[in-house]
Amino acid sequence: MGEVMEFGGTGTPQPQDATDRVLFVRTSDMEIASWDRARIVDALIRETFLDPDTAERVALAVEEGIQRSRIEVLTAPLIRELVDAKLIEMGLESARRMHTRLGMPLYDVEELLVQPNRENANVPHGPEATNLTLAENIKKEYALLAVFSQDVADAHMRGDIHLHDLGFIDRPYCSGQSLEYLKKFGLNLPNSLANAHPAKHPEVLLAHMVKFSAALQSNFAGAIGWDAVNLFFAPYLEGMPDRDVKQLAQMLIFEYSQQAVARGGQAIFSDINLYWEVPKHFEDVPAIGPGGAYTGKTYGEYEKEAQRFVKLLFDVYLEGDASGRPFFFPKPLVHITEKFFKTDGHEAFLHHLCEVSAEKGNTYFVFDRGDTAKISECCRLSFKLEKSDLEDAKQPWRMRYSALQNATINLPRLAYRAGGDDTRLFQNLTGMLETACQAHLEKKAFIERLLSQGERGPLSLLTMNKDGQPYLRMHRVSYLLGMVGLNEMVKIHTGEELHESEGAFRFGLKVIAHMKLVSEKMSRHHNMHFVLEQTPAESTAYRFAKLDLKYYSPQAGAAVRGDLSRGEVYYTNSTQLHVGSPTNPIDRVRQEGLFHPLIEAGAITHIWLGEEKPSPESLANFVTKVFRNTHNDQIAFSPEFTTCVACGRTARGLEESCTYCGSDEVEGITRITGYFTKISSWNQGKIGELHERRRNRGCFTGTPAEGGRRAEGEAK
Amino acid sequence: MTLFTKTGCEKCDYVKHAVDLEGLGVAVEELGPENPDALAHLAWHGLVTVAERQLPILVLDRERYLTGAIRIRKFLESGGHA
Repeated sequence: MGEVMEFGGTGTPQPQDATDRVLFVRTSDMEIASWDRARIVDALIRETFLDPDTAERVALAVEEGIQRSRIEVLTAPLIRELVDAKLIEMGLESARRMHTRLGMPLYDVEELLVQPNRENANVPHGPEATNLTLAENIKKEYALLAVFSQDVADAHMRGDIHLHDLGFIDRPYCSGQSLEYLKKFGLNLPNSLANAHPAKHPEVLLAHMVKFSAALQSNFAGAIGWDAVNLFFAPYLEGMPDRDVKQLAQMLIFEYSQQAVARGGQAIFSDINLYWEVPKHFEDVPAIGPGGAYTGKTYGEYEKEAQRFVKLLFDVYLEGDASGRPFFFPKPLVHITEKFFKTDGHEAFLHHLCEVSAEKGNTYFVFDRGDTAKISECCRLSFKLEKSDLEDAKQPWRMRYSALQNATINLPRLAYRAGGDDTRLFQNLTGMLETACQAHLEKKAFIERLLSQGERGPLSLLTMNKDGQPYLRMHRVSYLLGMVGLNEMVKIHTGEELHESEGAFRFGLKVIAHMKLVSEKMSRHHNMHFVLEQTPAESTAYRFAKLDLKYYSPQAGAAVRGDLSRGEVYYTNSTQLHVGSPTNPIDRVRQEGLFHPLIEAGAITHIWLGEEKPSPESLANFVTKVFRNTHNDQIAFSPEFTTCVACGRTARGLEESCTYCGSDEVEGITRITGYFTKISSWNQGKIGELHERRRNRGCFTGTPAEGGRRAEGEAK
Repeated sequence: MTLFTKTGCEKCDYVKHAVDLEGLGVAVEELGPENPDALAHLAWHGLVTVAERQLPILVLDRERYLTGAIRIRKFLESGGHA
């Protein structure tokens, strides 16, 4: 059916008796066509399971209704609504659902074009961003109507669970990979106008990496992570003077930071995994160098080059951008391992990392204890390498990991419903997890349907096969189960927050232990990899709080955090202690870290610094203690900045006006959930959280207390 | 003291049969898919990753634990003196 229907033989509305009027339709192809009832019939037969006779009866009834009306101009969406209304009237609900038109009201589109989008602080405002949002809105509707069953869709709509990135329903969630893929196979994208051989020069390898990241961003909803970047660049850097390697480091960071010209005007949410040492699983792997040729050496022999590159990368992070601001992307994730502490020069490098942490906050410290190895990305997501993955590490281009979807449970809601009854709480938690599991099965089926079209289909990039298996290795895909508001759930159920008593804390552990066991059971049952992840919950913590205020007040009024009068409400992220709890940093890291071994797909503790600038020595001491004495997976230190639009300079702390020129045209910058961004783009919930963050002033002047444990008879 | 064990773990069964755990006042927690309490307790002691590598684990107090079936047996038989 067309776009607009008008009355009158010339296309000009003619006020006549309804029975005499001639109807015209402005079609989707931008033509004006004569009214033809058969087109309604055709659409009903094509789009629904109605038989021709019933379709004809519906179309006739709609035509009569239109002719009886005095409507001057008919739009095609209105015709479809009239048809849908008639289907409901005739009891044909299933057909009505299949015949639904997706789209947005005129008012909403205008608002969207004019008002910024605050669901994701990494989406700027501009024509390309509104294109993205418009497309996302239609895909969200499609997902909830056509991809997911009604039970799953309703659970999302009610806010029992949150299905992340519904606007990207036709893509997996995120991707982690190795540069070796590009080094070995070059840059050959399906549908590309030109294919490239493996890079012969480091600048070209960088160009391939950035281009491929942009291509991956178009095929995944979220983060694009790269493993051991400094190590895999190393064979290209031999013989290059420091000045040129520093230039390459600068290019890498600026290329990702300034990619606000990619999908929807977004920067690519990019992560680079970095190592000071050569990870054990890469030590004996033959190195690939310029032109895709083996260099005759192993990666173990490139330790010095890899160290030189990573040190210079952090020199660039330390300098910041032209205004002295921290770079938002790529996020540098430095793996701290046992071998790190045994590798020459680690003290100076750790000092350097901590200097960057104190000055700019960029460094993420990822702790891989024992034999653990992982690829990290997104706000905290990790792909823990299994035995078979370590076998793949001998051919690192095979190391490609993806999470297909993230489904998050609204934990406080379970507590409202349980009314203090443990049995009911855990039964309902299992039920929610089963709903989330069903959502994963449905998304998996949809993605597999798209993938089945191969290199001619919409996910051609993910089906390209250069090494005997598709780029997206479905057998290694993870299905994420997240959680929001454990702290508030425990408070509603036990009367105390996580940090307020041992009993409350241990109850929180039991909730997450239950989730882990259920996810393992589902993994066995479906032969899929269901894993817990701390949901970043940039907008979910806000959405759940708002919906619970709507459905569970007055209880929710006492439980949600933030400023209710200003609408700045939120739940505490995942399993974290409340951002404002009076817990010193080492206790926070230690206590939150007790949850982390239960959460296989990634967890983090944030340490909010505010305007405080601790010494690198105190942070290095802190990081070492965290590695040795806690079970924490990952930490990051988050300072705050004010950057001046007028004079372009950046100062420490969040200020109302510029400390240099006095201008009030300033932007606050700090970490939102797992990345730095401008505060002006934050949603109201996150603004509420920002106001309540405890800044840990003066906490890094002393030595953190030991909080770990050791086995009797083992090293003391 | 708490002994963390698992169904099908031969070393766990060895300790359970070799030592009068009840007589010594040792609580036994059996890890398994239906026992979140045991897993939460293990997590509280920070021993989840240790348990992935080896069981049984004898938790002595908030700060100390023992692994290795023979070591645990000897420790318990000695009346708690390693």
